[in-house]
Amino acid sequence: MIKKQSFGIWFNLVVAVLTVVSLIVYGVNISGEGYFKGASVGNLILYGVIAIIMLAAVIVLAQLQITGTAQKVMEIISGLLRIAVPVLLTLALVNLVSARAEGLGFIYFSNADVLQEVQTPANMSSATGTIANMICLGAAAIFAMIAAFFTLRKKDA
Amino acid sequence: MRAKKLAPVMRGLSAVTASVMALSIVGADIADGYRARIDDFLGTQSYVTNTDEDSARFVSDYDTFEDMKAAAKDIAVREGEEGTVIMKNDNSVLPLSGKSVALFGLAAYAPYPYASGDLKAGNTDAVDLVQAFQDAGVEVNQTVMDFYENGILNEHTEEVANQWTGEMETQVAYDHIYVTAPGDMTTYQIAEVPPSEYENLGAPSGWESQIDKDNTVGICVFARGAGESNTYAPGSAVNYAGEETGEDPLALSEDELAVIDKAKETCSQVVVLINSGNTMVLSDIAAGGEHEVDGIAYIGCLNDYQAIGVVNVLTGQINATGALTDTYVADNSSIPAVQNFGGGYYADYEVVNSDGDDPRYPGTTIENIEAGSFGGTTPTYNGGTYIVEAEGIYVGYKYYETRYYDSIANPDSGAASAAGATQSDAWSYNDEVLYDFGHGLSYLDYTQELRSVNVDCTEDGEITAVVAITNNSDQDGRFLAQLYAQQPYTDYDRENNVEKSAVMFLNSAKVDVAAGATEEVTITIPTKYLASYDYTNAKTYILDAGDYYFTAAAGSHEAVNNILAAQGYTTAEGMDAEAAGAVQIWNLAEMDNTTYSVSNGTEVTNVADDADLNYWTEDDTVTYLTRQDWEGTWPVNYNEVEINISDSPKSEEWIAELRGQTYTIQDGDAATEGTDSGLRFDTTDIQYEQLDNIEDPFWTELVGQITIDEAVGAVIHGGSQTDTLTNIDNPVVVQNEGVSGFTAAYTDEETGETYRFNVHSQTLLGSSFNPELAYDWGRVEGNSGLWLQRYHLWGTGLTQRRTPYNGRNYEYISEDPMLTNRMGYGVLQGCADMGILNGPKHMGFNDQEHNRAGISVYMNEQKFRETDLRCFQGGLEDADGMAVMIAFNRIGATNASHYAPMLQTILRGEWAYTGLISTDMMNNNYYFNPESMIMAGITQVADFATNDNHINMGDGGTDATWAYIDEDTVSKDAALVDQARENLKYQLYTFANSAVMNVSTERVQTWWDNAISAVTYISGALAVVTLAAWIVLTVKPEKKKEEE
Repeated sequence: MIKKQSFGIWFNLVVAVLTVVSLIVYGVNISGEGYFKGASVGNLILYGVIAIIMLAAVIVLAQLQITGTAQKVMEIISGLLRIAVPVLLTLALVNLVSARAEGLGFIYFSNADVLQEVQTPANMSSATGTIANMICLGAAAIFAMIAAFFTLRKKDA
Repeated sequence: MRAKKLAPVMRGLSAVTASVMALSIVGADIADGYRARIDDFLGTQSYVTNTDEDSARFVSDYDTFEDMKAAAKDIAVREGEEGTVIMKNDNSVLPLSGKSVALFGLAAYAPYPYASGDLKAGNTDAVDLVQAFQDAGVEVNQTVMDFYENGILNEHTEEVANQWTGEMETQVAYDHIYVTAPGDMTTYQIAEVPPSEYENLGAPSGWESQIDKDNTVGICVFARGAGESNTYAPGSAVNYAGEETGEDPLALSEDELAVIDKAKETCSQVVVLINSGNTMVLSDIAAGGEHEVDGIAYIGCLNDYQAIGVVNVLTGQINATGALTDTYVADNSSIPAVQNFGGGYYADYEVVNSDGDDPRYPGTTIENIEAGSFGGTTPTYNGGTYIVEAEGIYVGYKYYETRYYDSIANPDSGAASAAGATQSDAWSYNDEVLYDFGHGLSYLDYTQELRSVNVDCTEDGEITAVVAITNNSDQDGRFLAQLYAQQPYTDYDRENNVEKSAVMFLNSAKVDVAAGATEEVTITIPTKYLASYDYTNAKTYILDAGDYYFTAAAGSHEAVNNILAAQGYTTAEGMDAEAAGAVQIWNLAEMDNTTYSVSNGTEVTNVADDADLNYWTEDDTVTYLTRQDWEGTWPVNYNEVEINISDSPKSEEWIAELRGQTYTIQDGDAATEGTDSGLRFDTTDIQYEQLDNIEDPFWTELVGQITIDEAVGAVIHGGSQTDTLTNIDNPVVVQNEGVSGFTAAYTDEETGETYRFNVHSQTLLGSSFNPELAYDWGRVEGNSGLWLQRYHLWGTGLTQRRTPYNGRNYEYISEDPMLTNRMGYGVLQGCADMGILNGPKHMGFNDQEHNRAGISVYMNEQKFRETDLRCFQGGLEDADGMAVMIAFNRIGATNASHYAPMLQTILRGEWAYTGLISTDMMNNNYYFNPESMIMAGITQVADFATNDNHINMGDGGTDATWAYIDEDTVSKDAALVDQARENLKYQLYTFANSAVMNVSTERVQTWWDNAISAVTYISGALAVVTLAAWIVLTVKPEKKKEEE
């Protein structure tokens, strides 16, 4: 039976969900028509998946009823994972921004005449998709940072 | 207890600070790659330029900011004065001395271009037409001006949100204005407001009576828009009401003619001013037209001050000396080049597609469809479309005048046949041509007479012509002399497909002559331009044996008539006028196919056989237009001919070229790594001997120090900004735009005043026909570079105007290669004399913007050498041109930037050009590839934003743009790396010979550099501290509890 979870656990779950959503938005963005079709970003999926696995591990570890030194060790491991997750998500976001900057520059900043050529509906929606991707990842990273503050163990009554 | 609460806080803080540190570390790297863009955006400077004032080799001609500004304004006014062309002047309508005017037409109150940008400086002291008239004391009808300015145009500013920053920016806007962007072969609305709308828009009823008809001249001004990526389409005109009319967008529309009619109704005389870089069709208002007007003048595209000069001419302050740079015809479909325009797909273009079999992109599907200038959507080679330039050398007047000549001298040629005739069943020059190339009326009566001509037939020899100008009027004045020549058209030429124009423009000059006096002016031109290219037999330049006729004339048609008369023809044989001037004959006894078969030590022979479609199809698919048979060879539209790549015996080679596989990286010859031998790019190592001679061993040793990674990286990512190379320490050089001058704003330190020096008008420079003016402008442009401390710009356009429809014609000079050649010579030499690198655009047949990013342009080698390339030859071979931008399109099937015959054999070899060679905008990595560009001789690739000298900006050390190369791959191809170093050698040599070596740049930390560093250190320190604290707090509390 799944016992009642602390607020911290729920929050970490939210982070995991946000990460998954980011990866989905990313997948949609690079498979849809438009400027960024096929434009995969190195390591993005890798970091995202590792972050999700780490969050899963954290949630699982928090379910374990252990005490003593083992518990200390688990807390350290869990804590380190919870510090690593926002770092990974931040790196994923930075990778994404770096890969997309030139393309976005083209779409928004070309000189007037070229702009007309580049701003097709498909490209604009692709650009919006990529920006949404960045926002999702950014939110996941920030939430992950906040999540690191919360205790995972429900306070014993 | 506290510990328990504190531990999670520490952990949370650790997570935050660690993330921030990761962000700032990786972010700093990325920011460095976009340094120039960020600097632009934030207004910071990462490089401080230290000018060594004492030893600077290039010093501005102007000591003060006021002087520099005055020089810029002065040259712009001169362009207006010298470039205004009086095309028609009946009933003494011009000059306007003492008369009042009423201005009609949207462009009268907002001349093109009105928005500041690349082609207009927009300084606060700019003068438009209305102000120029008023300043000159001409009374401008107030009623018409009021309802136009307030009712129709209603100039105002609009707040438009900047799409990226969201900041509101002010832009000039009008309620009614002509369309400034033709679009990409789509419909074009000629938005001129017809008089039937005037009262609806605020004209007071009975406004016509507010014009004093007898004493007012109506001036109607009409404009056409232009721009990068824009191309007009024949038959695409839309009227004011929004209906498609099926008319030519460059012809005067019904609405515009209605405005003219209204002007004729309300004013005693009417003058039409043409404000456009695209040649317009004026049959309705020319002599015999249904809406014939008294006067027509060409005023080009106006920048900040040209209107002052234009008005000086219109009011008669100075004599009119401008001439037309293009032939004005009655119907654009009479133009041979228009028969092959726009381009279209091969029947089986998809055979080029890759379904993962391109070894460079395994597994990637790559198509072969058209893409924009940026190739952003589906991966595509963009090699599916083509155009066949079957007209050969017969562009513009060379077609019309030669066919006219043949209709008289060679009637068997079919010159008078129906082929190409648009006005009747038989082609007739005077039906098809309204105004000839070189046409321009002078207010003051004068004659020009060619007194003598001397032809020095050596490799570097010149033709020296002395022209006498006699001022038959009672006023002092300035006059234009134009020199033309006819080469003999012999049986040899007929047998070997060497085409000759009946007349060719060589050069021109202006001279001041006192009333009633005669002055002599000497015009020179390198003799090599008199030779023709024989691509089928001699395979080099030849000078046929026979009589060469030279004449000075006020236009190409007058020149042909002078020559016909000298050859014994009269109006009885069909000449439309008597000869006006003298002809000098030079005779060559025997054919010379050796003198011009060598140039600068390089053998001159066929290099562009593969630019000919017939080479690929191995069939006489294309029949080139020849004057032997005007009727039978009138160009077919080869886009309506089914061309199958797979039918060609050379299909494999063809597909490979269309895929860009011009060169394939080799494996097995290890490149030498660059090591520091202590040489540097500075004035101690580079002395006079090194500056003067690129063969000096110093240069090879210098570039030998460049590492493999940087040698390749600096070429393939070197656009936007040339960065400092390790072991070289060359200063950073930023590239700038544009064709009207530097677009960057100058801020005066003392007053804080800002000013922009891009005040030039390329159209008016062209129609000035004055190469000295071109030099003077080049020098001003160069001076402005020294003031701005910017040393490299893409500062002039020299592409041939093959048809009137190209949306960028306003950046170019003319349909004629020699006029462009001489203007290019002047501008580039002027800049070079100030140490500024001015790279002309776009070398190599960028004749249309439509699908410029991949279209195959097919032609024979005579056209290749004698048309567009000749436009660039003056500036790059004859002058000290130091930079060039290569065209976006293909030459034949090969990307122009991969085309070694043009870049290595002709540019480096025959022309001995030692400057830098840049691509156009690189944003399709399937169309451009690094190995082909390097081997072709490119010294820098213009990629959009990244400033980097390395291959490894991508994953795992591979290149971010071309993932199939990394340092390891290229290290195994010594030829590739050596060529990259060789290309950079030219670039460094050129920088050393320019004002770049006046200065050294120092990298300084900007505030954002410091901010990023601070964040990294602080967050790093905090991360460590909070992590440690969390660990300790997590481990500790249990012990305390137990103790209790």
